[in-house]
Amino acid sequence: MPHILIVGAGQSGLQLGLNLLAAGMDVTIMSARTPEEIRGGSPTSTQCMFQPALQIERDLGLNFWEEQCPKLTAQRYNLGLPPDGYPDARQTTGEAAPPWLRTEVTPFTRAIRFTGPWEHYTQSVDQRIKMSSWLAEFENRGGTVIYQGVMTSDLDSLTALGRYDLTIVAAGKGELVGLFDRDASRSPYDRPQRALSCIYTRGMTFDPEYQDWAVSFANIAGVGEFFNMPGLTVDGDGMQPCNILLFAGFPEGPLGFHAWRERLSPTEHLDRIVRAMREYVPWEADLAGDIEITDPRPSLIGGYTPTVRHPIGHLPSGGLVLGMGDVVVANDPITGQGANNAAHSAHIYARHIIDNADGRYDEAWMQATFDDYWNYAKHPTVFTNAMLGQEPPEHVGRILAAAQAGHEAGKPVIAARIAYGYTTPSDLGWMLDPDEANKYLAEVAPEFATPAPANP
Amino acid sequence: MATPRTHPKVRPYVLTGGRTVTRHRLLVHTLVTVPYYDPGLAAAMLPEARTLYEQARDGCSVAELSALSGLSLGVTRVIVSDLAAAQRVRVHAETYGSPFDRRLLERVRDGLRALA
Repeated sequence: MPHILIVGAGQSGLQLGLNLLAAGMDVTIMSARTPEEIRGGSPTSTQCMFQPALQIERDLGLNFWEEQCPKLTAQRYNLGLPPDGYPDARQTTGEAAPPWLRTEVTPFTRAIRFTGPWEHYTQSVDQRIKMSSWLAEFENRGGTVIYQGVMTSDLDSLTALGRYDLTIVAAGKGELVGLFDRDASRSPYDRPQRALSCIYTRGMTFDPEYQDWAVSFANIAGVGEFFNMPGLTVDGDGMQPCNILLFAGFPEGPLGFHAWRERLSPTEHLDRIVRAMREYVPWEADLAGDIEITDPRPSLIGGYTPTVRHPIGHLPSGGLVLGMGDVVVANDPITGQGANNAAHSAHIYARHIIDNADGRYDEAWMQATFDDYWNYAKHPTVFTNAMLGQEPPEHVGRILAAAQAGHEAGKPVIAARIAYGYTTPSDLGWMLDPDEANKYLAEVAPEFATPAPANP
Repeated sequence: MATPRTHPKVRPYVLTGGRTVTRHRLLVHTLVTVPYYDPGLAAAMLPEARTLYEQARDGCSVAELSALSGLSLGVTRVIVSDLAAAQRVRVHAETYGSPFDRRLLERVRDGLRALA
């Protein structure tokens, strides 16, 4: 049986390790942090996982929190507009001031709202809980864990040692990513497109109109996006349900990188998030009267450049390593695909590794394995990059209006199709292409669709 | 046919594929020793493993082993982990329960003095 080395102990690395262990392989994982350090650290993601990814975990017997974690049954869409009209009045040059630096704060209004029900629920288990437990589980099931933050020089001597038949790099946030060249043809951006400011909270109440758990999402004109994602997080040594709040700000907008540059205490961070909610998503702020942080390290602030990389890393001594998860495909978090991509990549890689257990894990095999993953990942990547535009294309505006009309008429067909697309991005082609969108709206829901403008 | 009797003590060995201690927390300050040095075995080892096996005879931390052998920390940890799984070295995982353990701090102090 082959010896496999996995560098990185996140969703993809641990899931792959546990999957290969179950197949009887000899697996070593290198983790920069111990389970205690992971659990006691800061959040690493908002990690919403949709049904297909959850099912992968269930099939591996890794869904330890199925019952404790809130089950999110729908995706709520909102469009927030400034009271003085959309969007010209808010256009600014340079950096717009965040709400806490202005005396005048006028709440936005909700111009569009609809709910897309999911047939199967979504869940978000804090990766501090999941990864610390999976890491301990991996050791208990006979895997070897080496606690080591790996650098390129380590990897060079490790591959030169000949100890492992295959080395996978699944650590997307360290220097090792530099081993994998950016694929410019698949990476339209060269800098972060959103300033992310996320905090884990408790005490938010349900929207009086809806008494169930759901992801609530808002496009905020001229500002960015807001997400309220219920999940399961740490509570001392135990666990508790929470609301994970995330603002994704346009870089030059009022919630751009400049707004989060200061080093804030968790309570100061929460205060600013709530102030931003009062202005941009006041319907969410109404639910946040008794909000508080969940733990001493509830914040995650930063930004990622959406990047697709070539999957094979060449080390100075001639060793080859294969990248996985967000090492090779890193999407912006605004479409919530990251943890799902990680689960799908580990799932596809595991199948290829197991199928090839008697062969050699050479360069051609590595490329074929990644190509198979890319057949999945191209859909969320194209979708996410399209969503990073700051103004929705005309046909998307019509989709949203039709979805709202259907919602109001009690027939959320379009909203449900959008919600399904987030779980299964290969179904999203109709939303990205104006002609496909028009065709779909005309076929499925002519009564809700405003006619497309005639082609000139 | 009679089912062969299995001694209950065999189970953990089988479950861990021969490793009776699966959890080696190889932190930089974890101590590694050689319970019984076997020169014949050392001669048969791969060069990297032999170097570490010999260095660990005096009882060394993982960081010291790495520095003395010239191997990177990552490689040191992989090989020590293999040697421990084969019971060639002993990993004293609980040497220091706390990073503020007096003995650990003294070792750090002495090490820094030696550098100065």
